[in-house]
Amino acid sequence: MNTATLFFQRKARLIETMSAAGLDVMLVYGNAWQNDYLRYATDFGILEGQALALVRNDGHVTLYLDSLLEVDRAGVDCADVDIVHAPNLVAEVDTALNRFRNQRIGAAPYRLLPRRLAQRAKDLPLSDQTWVLDRLLMVKLESEIAAVRRASQLADDGYAVFRQAARVGRKDYELIAEVEAFYRAKGVEDNFQIIGAGGPDVRGMAPPSGKRLKPGDLVTTELTPCVDGYYAQICRTLAVGTPSAEQKATHALWREAMEAGIAVVRDGVAAADIARAENDVFRRHGLGNYVTSEYTRVRGHGLGLFVDTKPHILEDVATRIDAGMTLIVHPNTYHPVVGYLVLGDMVVVGKDGCEVLTATPRELFSVDA
Amino acid sequence: MRRGLMAWNKDELPIGTLDERIARLRARMSEAGLDAFVVYTNFVRPSAVSYLTGFTPYWSDGILLVRASGDPVFATALSKRVANWIRTTSPVAEIVNAPRPGAALGARLAADSGVQRVGVLELDALPAGIHDDLVGAAPAVELIDASAQFADIRRGIDRAERDLLLRADALATAALGQVNVAKAGDAGTVAGLVEKRARLDGAEEAQIAVAADFDRDRRMIRATGAVPLADRFALRASVAYKGSWVRRSRTFARDVAGAQAVARADAWFGPVLRSIEAGKPLAAQLAAQVGSLAGAELTRWMAESCVGSYPLQVIAAATVPAGEGPADGAYLVLTVELSVDGVPWIGAAPAIVGGHSETVRATA
Repeated sequence: MNTATLFFQRKARLIETMSAAGLDVMLVYGNAWQNDYLRYATDFGILEGQALALVRNDGHVTLYLDSLLEVDRAGVDCADVDIVHAPNLVAEVDTALNRFRNQRIGAAPYRLLPRRLAQRAKDLPLSDQTWVLDRLLMVKLESEIAAVRRASQLADDGYAVFRQAARVGRKDYELIAEVEAFYRAKGVEDNFQIIGAGGPDVRGMAPPSGKRLKPGDLVTTELTPCVDGYYAQICRTLAVGTPSAEQKATHALWREAMEAGIAVVRDGVAAADIARAENDVFRRHGLGNYVTSEYTRVRGHGLGLFVDTKPHILEDVATRIDAGMTLIVHPNTYHPVVGYLVLGDMVVVGKDGCEVLTATPRELFSVDA
Repeated sequence: MRRGLMAWNKDELPIGTLDERIARLRARMSEAGLDAFVVYTNFVRPSAVSYLTGFTPYWSDGILLVRASGDPVFATALSKRVANWIRTTSPVAEIVNAPRPGAALGARLAADSGVQRVGVLELDALPAGIHDDLVGAAPAVELIDASAQFADIRRGIDRAERDLLLRADALATAALGQVNVAKAGDAGTVAGLVEKRARLDGAEEAQIAVAADFDRDRRMIRATGAVPLADRFALRASVAYKGSWVRRSRTFARDVAGAQAVARADAWFGPVLRSIEAGKPLAAQLAAQVGSLAGAELTRWMAESCVGSYPLQVIAAATVPAGEGPADGAYLVLTVELSVDGVPWIGAAPAIVGGHSETVRATA
């Protein structure tokens, strides 16, 4: 299925939801950091600058872009969308909103909406309707899930390239360079990837800093390729040289935690249930401290048109998990002896369980020292 | 996102340079009667905070507060876990990790009775959530758009920025040098090769765009995968090194007539960059230059610079006319599209206005 067909299916769903919510127009904001809402509504994967889209309930979509280069790209990539170059983006859309003075305007994502436009709520029937798109982004069509499956396959393939590239003396950014070249050749337009390399000094992953791999290092990475607009992620750890007994034992614990979380995933549970299942494994092993926000951000999250979407898998998140969601379950956190470890698999939520998409073995890999 | 090298190097970006930049901002603040200055950042709009602190977020967002005196304060939704990482990329500023950075800085403003007027870079575009939290925590403070004051301090570039730009340009030039016209097969493989070169050389980020059949469609896209390259194609490399961004575009032709036209245009472009004059509208300068290239017609052009939070934004173009010309010593990226004897050509390269010795050379 091509991306245009996927987009038309999404747009139909959005229009239907807008109508049910009594909305005449959606005002959608996007930039490369937070792209999912915009991509859902326009099929544009913005890279530079900022964008705003007006989606009417008759299906007409206008995409305003402040970057000339992005106007060119959108002209090629976006089907059935009116594209407007708006160098003074906020001012021009502010003016455009006046045409909808007597119509109900929903805005998403509201917290990122430019201040000047949010303030139009004082004189226009404009309100925060982020939930409209949140719901659509979380529970996916079959065609969207198929795209996530393709992305997950490429996550596995990308990790194989990463492992092949990891050698003593190589710099961390050189490994990512190999993965990116592989992905461009394979039609993967984008990838989110962070990395960690070292021992107990490493508290998390980040962009590469120029570290050279050395014997004894644990090298952690999450890579998140994008296929047809949809992201999937894999988290894996490898040891440089033969893993120590502590590294193996720690990885085994991480695997137990991840599998405990995956075992819980099904339609009707809460995000908190998945997180608790993972964290209870740590607590049973006396590592309850390391599942707090001091050491870890989330125990998993949704993925789709963005690398990190709702629901966040945390013990204080009550969001219902529904069939059709695509998640990663990852008990990534710090261990006081060996350092930071990651392990994460993609799943599709089903009625009675989940389908695991990630095919890469759940082992602590090693490369020659 | 940032998937390349991110690390502060004290020789490349001395703390003294950052102190001087903050001092210039404070001078403008004083002239404008501003008690403080607020700058928003995320990885799409990183350049203002990066200019003042060396910091670029690879994720999430944050805001920087510069007061009349004292250390700048950077509040970010990035968690405390990454505080150490932030410190490896930015040597200045107090770091405050808060789920609502606007509220955190708003509280600082409210606690300082001397702060009444606060300048904000690009106030209209400040995210509503940040704005509402800031105003909610500091309701007595007046927020004023101060983009002009910030643009003032960005008029010229200092030595550190010049050197970073030169390094970024060297990466972009070398990356595009990977293209073997005779052997180049599909857009994805070529884009991957170019990007890989830039990343292996230490680019912070590299975005490669391709016009796979330049005769048929001049628009450059993220062409990945097995999109075949025609006899004439073009690539654009947008490359960042330690927060400084350049663009280089090159045209490639496999046919004899195309190759000759491209070579002539390439040879013409370098001197054009070196001859950009301050104070004169770019449109007129370009029209005169194009007139000197036999068989050439100007199709499109644009000039970009870093004047605010965007790494590069259009300051003049065929469709976006600017009043006066660029300032002396200003940094810009010039993109020019021509038709040369019927052969489409694009070139893009950075330059420093005024023919300074630091001006980068266009690829011939």
